Amino acid sequence: MNRVLAVTRMQLVNWPVTLGWPWGILMASFLANLAIFWSIADTTDQPQSTGAVMSIYIVLLVGYGQVITQFFPFALGLGVTRRAFYAATLLLLVAESLLYGVLLYLCRLLEAATGGWGLSLRFFALPFLVDDNPVAQILIYAVPFTVLGAIGMCSALVFKRWGVNGLFVLGFATIVLGGGAIAWVSWQRHWAAIGHWFADQSALTLFAGWPVPLTLVLAGIGYLTIRRATA
Amino acid sequence: MSPVVSAEGVTKRFGRVTALDNVSFELTDNTIHGLLGRNGAGKTTLMQLLTGQHFATAGRLTVFGQRPYENAQVLDRICFIKESQTYPQAFAVRHALEAARLLFANWDEAFAAELVEDFQLPLRRSVRKLSRGMLSALGVTIGLASRAPLTLFDEPYLGLDAAARHIFYDRLITDYAEHPRTVVLSTHLIDEVSNLIERVLLIDRGRLLLDQSAESLRTEYVTVSGPAASVDRLAGTGEQLHREQLGNMARVTVRRPLDAAERDRAASLGLELTPVSLQELMVRMTTRGSGRDSGATVKEGAR
Repeated sequence: MNRVLAVTRMQLVNWPVTLGWPWGILMASFLANLAIFWSIADTTDQPQSTGAVMSIYIVLLVGYGQVITQFFPFALGLGVTRRAFYAATLLLLVAESLLYGVLLYLCRLLEAATGGWGLSLRFFALPFLVDDNPVAQILIYAVPFTVLGAIGMCSALVFKRWGVNGLFVLGFATIVLGGGAIAWVSWQRHWAAIGHWFADQSALTLFAGWPVPLTLVLAGIGYLTIRRATA
Repeated sequence: MSPVVSAEGVTKRFGRVTALDNVSFELTDNTIHGLLGRNGAGKTTLMQLLTGQHFATAGRLTVFGQRPYENAQVLDRICFIKESQTYPQAFAVRHALEAARLLFANWDEAFAAELVEDFQLPLRRSVRKLSRGMLSALGVTIGLASRAPLTLFDEPYLGLDAAARHIFYDRLITDYAEHPRTVVLSTHLIDEVSNLIERVLLIDRGRLLLDQSAESLRTEYVTVSGPAASVDRLAGTGEQLHREQLGNMARVTVRRPLDAAERDRAASLGLELTPVSLQELMVRMTTRGSGRDSGATVKEGAR
């Protein structure tokens, strides 16, 4: 366990950059949205929503891909086992996700207190993302980070282990399976049922419930992949 | 002395390519080993097997008495600095040193600071902006200051100038004297390190050609030059590594330990005896049978 913590700390030696990128990009997109909605504020009285909070989730996905492509070879050379490296990275992902969940919740509170930044703008409190319970709200923000981090890690691990061809096969399989599923749903006319299913879920089950098993499955696939991955 | 590494019949294949072919050897405790060989001989592959980064196709390999793959008890004691050692892009020099400090139990911060001073490493500069030589200096600094019981340097000094390389040799030998450990150094600059290396492992096309002490190599091989008939008489049945003949003068590199009496006899025959440098030995042994020679007659030695 000490070794795992040491590896986690190793990944954070330049923490201002690790944390700076996601929040820097989020702040940039926040300011851009403020400017846009301020400039059109006189054309509407309706509360406005924007999905730009997604940007921080994407940055985290890319960041965890880089943890695999850059920190993994470095750590292997310094005598870290794959197991310890992987455990340390998962620990970091969970901690980072929770921290970001709390920070986003605080931003949401600030947004509510300022009347949507004086513009009735919903940047953090997206209508389908809100829950009045603080713990539930934090989890709704936090858990999707773990899914995206796991996707970033797994994709980078496929690249590390099987190279560019591995990524092509992964992309090919995703298109065939995803496209096949969409075609089947359309053919069977299941879209309405699926829509209802999503509408029936609470924000908590949709964003903090179902993603948990998804993260666990991806983490398991990642572990099996890293076991035989080489630097 | 107990072996730190023990390899028995280790073979590594990548598809149809055999990178290591039935290699057996031991690395002894507290010794500086030179791992020599041409490009593509299998040096890096061997180091990757030792550090659990790759997996042997066949054979048995133990490090500190255990299999290295995913074995924390073994890997905690290893530092492996590669030829093209990479660092996370977000790191400055000081972050890489900090990372190493967190991971190595024997890390010596004061020694690291001295090395940073010696190599004039800019602590706050991003690794992306380091020259090739400075990146190598950073790797060497981490490798030395880690004081890992098994430290492997794979061509660690790409782009390092001669002065910096000598700082590396001096620091390695001084620190090694105070803190003995097992070092494996693979290099092409053989003459530069020949005084450093205590034991030589020479691999060629995946096979181990030599595994013996540098000291015994110096006495075992000799280059004899003079009149061809006399050269042949002295060289006798020794294994000939190389032969050049011009008219009736010959120059032969041969495996032939000579005692004092034989050396006297050589002098009386008008023969000149010159020691064979490690580099020359490596070149001769790894180019035999490749069908190339510089216009001179090359003859396979009698076995």
